[in-house]
Amino acid sequence: MVKQILPKNLSEVLELISKEKYRFCAGGTDMLIQNHNLKTLPIDFKDNIIYTFNLEELKGITEDEDFITIGASESLESILENKITPQILKDTILQMASPAIRHSGTIGGNIGNASPAGDLLVPLYLLNAIVQLQSLKGIRSVLLSDFITHVRRIDLRDDEIITKIIISKINFDKHQFVKVGPRLSDAISKLSFLGAVSFHEDKVIDLRFSFGAVNITVVRRPEIEAQYIYKTKEELKNSVDELLEKYSEYIRPIDDQRSNKEYRKTVALNLLRNFIEEL
Amino acid sequence: MKVVNNLTHSVDGLGILKGRAAYTDDLADKNSLIVKVLRSPHAYAKIVKIDSEEALKLPGIEMVLTHKDFSRVPFTRAGQGYPEPSPHDKFVLDEYVRYVGDEVLAVVGSDLAVCEEALALIKVEYELLEPVLDFEKAIDHKSIIHPEPEAHEMFPIGFEPLRNIAASYHMHVGDVEKTLSECDVVIEETFFTQAQAHVMLEPHTVNARMDYQERLVIYNSTQTPYHMRRIISQGLNIPLSKIRVIKPRVGGGFGGKQGIHGEMLVAYVTYKTGKAAKMVYTRKEVFESSYTRHPMKMKVTLGADKSGVLKAIDFHCLSDTGAYGEHALTVFMVVGSKVLPLYNKVDSVRFYGDVVYTNHTPAGAYRGYGAIQGNFALESAVDMLCVKLGMNPIEFRQLNMMKETETSPIFEIMGEGTAGTAMIMETCKLEECVEKGMKLIDWNDKYPSKDMGNKIKSVGMAIAMQGSGIPYIDMGSATIKLNDDGFYNLLVGATDIGQGSDTVLAQIAAEVLMTTMDKIVIYSSDTDLTPFDCGAYASSTTYVSGNAVFKAANDMLEAILVEARRILKSKEVEFDGVLFTNELGETISLIDLSNEITYSEDQKQLSVTSSYVGHKSPPPFMAGFIEIDIDKETGEVDIVNYVSVVDCGTTINPKLAEGQVDGGIVQGLGMAMFENVQYSKKGALISNSLMTYKIPTRVDINNLTTVFVDSYEESGPFGAKSVGEIGIDTPPAALANAVYNALGIRIKTLPITAEKILLAIKAKERN
Ligand SMILES: Cc1cc2nc3c(=O)[nH]c(=O)nc-3n(C[C@H](O)[C@H](O)[C@H](O)COP(=O)(O)OP(=O)(O)OC[C@H]3O[C@@H](n4cnc5c(N)ncnc54)[C@H](O)[C@@H]3O)c2cc1C
Repeated sequence: MVKQILPKNLSEVLELISKEKYRFCAGGTDMLIQNHNLKTLPIDFKDNIIYTFNLEELKGITEDEDFITIGASESLESILENKITPQILKDTILQMASPAIRHSGTIGGNIGNASPAGDLLVPLYLLNAIVQLQSLKGIRSVLLSDFITHVRRIDLRDDEIITKIIISKINFDKHQFVKVGPRLSDAISKLSFLGAVSFHEDKVIDLRFSFGAVNITVVRRPEIEAQYIYKTKEELKNSVDELLEKYSEYIRPIDDQRSNKEYRKTVALNLLRNFIEEL
Repeated sequence: MKVVNNLTHSVDGLGILKGRAAYTDDLADKNSLIVKVLRSPHAYAKIVKIDSEEALKLPGIEMVLTHKDFSRVPFTRAGQGYPEPSPHDKFVLDEYVRYVGDEVLAVVGSDLAVCEEALALIKVEYELLEPVLDFEKAIDHKSIIHPEPEAHEMFPIGFEPLRNIAASYHMHVGDVEKTLSECDVVIEETFFTQAQAHVMLEPHTVNARMDYQERLVIYNSTQTPYHMRRIISQGLNIPLSKIRVIKPRVGGGFGGKQGIHGEMLVAYVTYKTGKAAKMVYTRKEVFESSYTRHPMKMKVTLGADKSGVLKAIDFHCLSDTGAYGEHALTVFMVVGSKVLPLYNKVDSVRFYGDVVYTNHTPAGAYRGYGAIQGNFALESAVDMLCVKLGMNPIEFRQLNMMKETETSPIFEIMGEGTAGTAMIMETCKLEECVEKGMKLIDWNDKYPSKDMGNKIKSVGMAIAMQGSGIPYIDMGSATIKLNDDGFYNLLVGATDIGQGSDTVLAQIAAEVLMTTMDKIVIYSSDTDLTPFDCGAYASSTTYVSGNAVFKAANDMLEAILVEARRILKSKEVEFDGVLFTNELGETISLIDLSNEITYSEDQKQLSVTSSYVGHKSPPPFMAGFIEIDIDKETGEVDIVNYVSVVDCGTTINPKLAEGQVDGGIVQGLGMAMFENVQYSKKGALISNSLMTYKIPTRVDINNLTTVFVDSYEESGPFGAKSVGEIGIDTPPAALANAVYNALGIRIKTLPITAEKILLAIKAKERN
């Protein structure tokens, strides 16, 4: 029998994980499905489990001048409903799952699950999100794009837990999130696209793109984005073919049950083109 | 009318909302043994050896059943008429497994966990055989799927198992080839449809127990309880009189429960051990191991003259029945019989082809069977012909389609499994349906399309017809009994599977008896207590069973009037549903009358039984119009609106009728654009869960506009025809036509996914 723990506070968790291996269950909307078993109990965990959905230390959405901090166990629903939440996250959450799943599913869970099709990762990459990890040894902050190392693999030590997600407060002049799925609700992305841009006196001062479900994790290429800073809108529009070609190399989707690579790649690049052309 | 065609609540809605025990598994014996099937991992194999020694040692394991436990009695699991038009090609368990998910053996244990444990301990050795996975290569394939000598047909259906042909058919009127050669414009196109899944909410469920009279009582989530009883009796050699089948409330069937699934094994276990037993399919089993819609390849050739008069239809169809031949011929024939008469003015028409076996999940009955496939092919082809003719597709249809008082020779030639029945269309409001639909969708403004930048808006349409039961085959009956206190029991064999037939049939009785719904207590589908009914399929219940109820209620009315005349000593008695009055103004109430004949004077039980068998099958008709927005970047289709204008005769219950059409449209749209059936190279179903098989959700369907035209079918109860299936037929063709109207791209293989649209756009750009 595996242990299942409903801890009272974070220090109890840190204590437990410093001694023994546990897995976390926040909203359970990935965990319960991955551990679904009809034979025995409906849920058949293979590892010791700590439930983290009610840990006060993992809750809360706060802001200061530069940053917004979201507790790892905040549900998608409460992030969506919070005034502080940037629109770019709200636009994404609105296209995730369904109201019932958004009620339980959490931001920490979406990161912990590290699926190539994890929708919230797309704006979080774009916003240079930092993941804060805690253990008895202290606090460690990692850039999300470093934290996720591969499909479903994260840089989390056994004695650590994700506590917070920190994003910089940036307002873009324009952003657009597009999710392409097999249907409009309760469906995993075939691919997704997020573009964001800001201008100052007609010159690009910030330009970012991220793509979901077209590679092992979210595709974000700051080095390509940087090449277009200080270009005029016109120049940016005129270089759309070149831009597409640069991204083309990194858009390397697969064929699977939900879609095929040709479709995914074509659409990802179409969405990028469309975003630029409509500026 | 006070009850019929009025807002009337469902008889069972509140109780179900309150969570009352209603469904089959709610009623299972708490101590039921669990019957769990080991499913084949191979598409085609012979079982060489089964070692269940270790499994049998597990405490709690009662038995392991293999093909050796059953005598070799082939049967068909299809429950539709007798003799059955489907080949008898299935054994309870066999030494061959014919698809991934087929039954290898069954374990019987005290709970699910021990059964699963046992399944893991059983070792099965297989000899792998080459599967037939491409239905276009099935005929005369070197692998024969049913080589067993016992398999047979009950009457000629074109069964040629050694060629992998489950059934075949050919009909013609006139000389198609000659007519085609004389046509000014001819098109020939080929269409494909997929193995759609039913996705009813309640999985296949059955449980059984022995009662104290040593009879086998089976609770069963089925659409056809009487056929179920007969098939179990024949398959297991148990006298029919020893079996009682009770159908509780069913959580959806859509045709998927018009056949046997776990029933044989559960019935066998209980009959053999005397212990209660049960089986509930997992969702995976529902997908892999029940039925699908028959996938088809359809080649349609149409010929017209320059003025746009359709002269000839040549329709070749190849249907894939999967590993077993349930409904092979009947579904096939409906492709022709419920589609081709739409264009009844042709000089010649031919319809022919084969139904083949493959090593895929068996196909069976599914709402609108045959009709939706045929409609997709024919109604797509008609639009393609219009392009070549340079003619507006609506004008073409108005010129060529079926109209009231007309007929088609096809009705007489083609039935379902047998010859058909000639009939004139007493009601056919197709012209009105088309006209109204054009207005509601704003056709003239939107046809063919509008470029809106990133999106293109377009419209498309199709017309359809269905039937109302199978003439001379489908029979329904009803018993009505008067109780003291003046209320009635209505006992029907008809099978409510969630579509609301209990409500509709009670409304018909209440209307005839001039009473209110609370005075009609309906009980349906219990083979010991209710009179025979063929079951819920072929859009038969409202028309066939409804006519039986109509007759029974009139007979009851006559019977109570006899009593009233006797009591009031008068030949002229009037009745208003509550009070009997004679010419002298003397009265007696129904309550007093019923109490008197129950308790005080000349006591008797008033009870009548009537039956109805249709001598025709008046088709409902509809026109379906879709408005879509296509995203040029992604190829995604937004459904903006679906307009359905339906002629189903009188809507006995307008809300339920609307629900039937809306549900049909959504399910049809599912087939048209969402439900992508995928198999692995080895023939396993990949889309075997609700995670991988996507049916449309509420947010995918923006708006449904469903209206009914005035129509009164003299032969139906209170003027009703049927409405259960007609809704599903038009979406695939209407969508395909709308996609063409938007992009000039013709997609001929369902489902019409964003991938297909986008890749077609790309291919078009390259050319
Ligand atoms: C019907 C349905 C639809 C869905 N639709 C979408 C969708 O559209 N888009 C999408 O992106 N996802 C979707 N999902 C997946 C899921 O809902 C999301 O990934 C959600 O954000 C997971 O959050 P959770 O709290 O439920 O995670 P859990 O299942 O509780 O955990 C997920 C993983 O994260 C780890 N984890 C959780 N909390 C922590 C922590 N504090 N520290 C370290 N590790 C942690 C867990 O150990 C586990 O490995 C869907 C799921 C379902 C069932």
